[in-house]
Amino acid sequence: MNVQEYISSGIVESYVLGLASEEERKEFEQQCLQYPEVMRARSDFELALEKQAMQNAIIPDPALKSKIWSEIGEKGKVIPINEPVPVRKMIWAKYVAAASVILLIISLYWNISLFNKNQELKNNYDIAAGKIKEMEDDMEVLKENPNVKMASLKGMDASPQSFATVYWDTASHDVYLLANNLPAPPTDKQYQLWALLDGQPIDLGMLDYDVKQKKLLIRMKNAQKAQAFAITLEKKDRSDVSKPQGDMYVMGNL
Amino acid sequence: MLQQRNEKAFSYLYDNYSGALLGIVNAIVTDKETANDVLQNVFINIWRRIESYDPSKGRLFTWMLNIARNAAIDEVRSKGYNNSQKNIPLPETNEIAGAVTGIEITDVGLKKVLGSLKGELRVLVDMSYFQGFTHEEISKVLNLPLGTVKTRIRSALTQLRTMIQ
Repeated sequence: MNVQEYISSGIVESYVLGLASEEERKEFEQQCLQYPEVMRARSDFELALEKQAMQNAIIPDPALKSKIWSEIGEKGKVIPINEPVPVRKMIWAKYVAAASVILLIISLYWNISLFNKNQELKNNYDIAAGKIKEMEDDMEVLKENPNVKMASLKGMDASPQSFATVYWDTASHDVYLLANNLPAPPTDKQYQLWALLDGQPIDLGMLDYDVKQKKLLIRMKNAQKAQAFAITLEKKDRSDVSKPQGDMYVMGNL
Repeated sequence: MLQQRNEKAFSYLYDNYSGALLGIVNAIVTDKETANDVLQNVFINIWRRIESYDPSKGRLFTWMLNIARNAAIDEVRSKGYNNSQKNIPLPETNEIAGAVTGIEITDVGLKKVLGSLKGELRVLVDMSYFQGFTHEEISKVLNLPLGTVKTRIRSALTQLRTMIQ
């Protein structure tokens, strides 16, 4: 595939603006994982769009925020019960009384279950918001920083499909790993990241695969100097972790 | 503690993005009061659906923008400006002719950018982005082959990109 052609085909805008078909969306998401250029084109357009929207903001009605607040506010949403219609004949009164008791019970049940549901949503929201914040902070570090260099790690013979990206801050020496595509390791093995300097490997730490499933960017050990980066698959229980012994999965120069 | 952090995060989202989102809602709904009502629903939706936001698929703002656009289009459709039926009526062909000449280029924001596109491309983007018609519907209404609709919208979108950058 010609990546540049793909990027300039309008698919990026189509995807971001929500106009792409389901099929196009899936394909695009796949390409983003595979080609950092596509991912970059996407975030460039997203930022431009966001900036554009910010410049054309319209101030909402000042009362709106508190209205929204009371809708989603602390208590579960209360379902109002309709006033029973006044009755003329006494015989109806019994039915109405019975009906209102039932309604009251249903409404109480609703309130309680909505309250619980609401608490659950709040907890989930809190977790999600925390994750977003974490990721945005990580991204901010990389985006705003002119010292950050990127290395694309391509799949080696052991796993040609694999692909990872290392971001290295040449000033602070921080190393971040984006494991775009690494197969789940067997339970007795784990991935290890290396910096390569004059052909010598320097240990940059183990990749916790559970963490990788949860986080976009994983912070590894700092690297003072590096010419290239590589990831190998190593046995978990080996005694000397300063030298690689297992197969090399991905490698790439700065 | 937990409660406080939730409210803080959401309050931050509102303070920072409500204006930008109202801008897009207003471009679709046009009536200010209705736009504010839609914005209220947008934020309630954001609150309820935040778990489904997936950062690997785009920025948070993009996600919110799409919620806002969809809510605004739903509002316009549910009102049934032309028709009270549940099904979304396709505009009559003479209305399309009106749309071709009738788009105000004095609009602001994205709509203003849209105004600088050439006639037909403008109509295509307006119909798909601001009115939410599918490519199939547009192809039917404008009597153009589906493939043509698709490529022209794509080309209009790439032009839009260079305009907003």
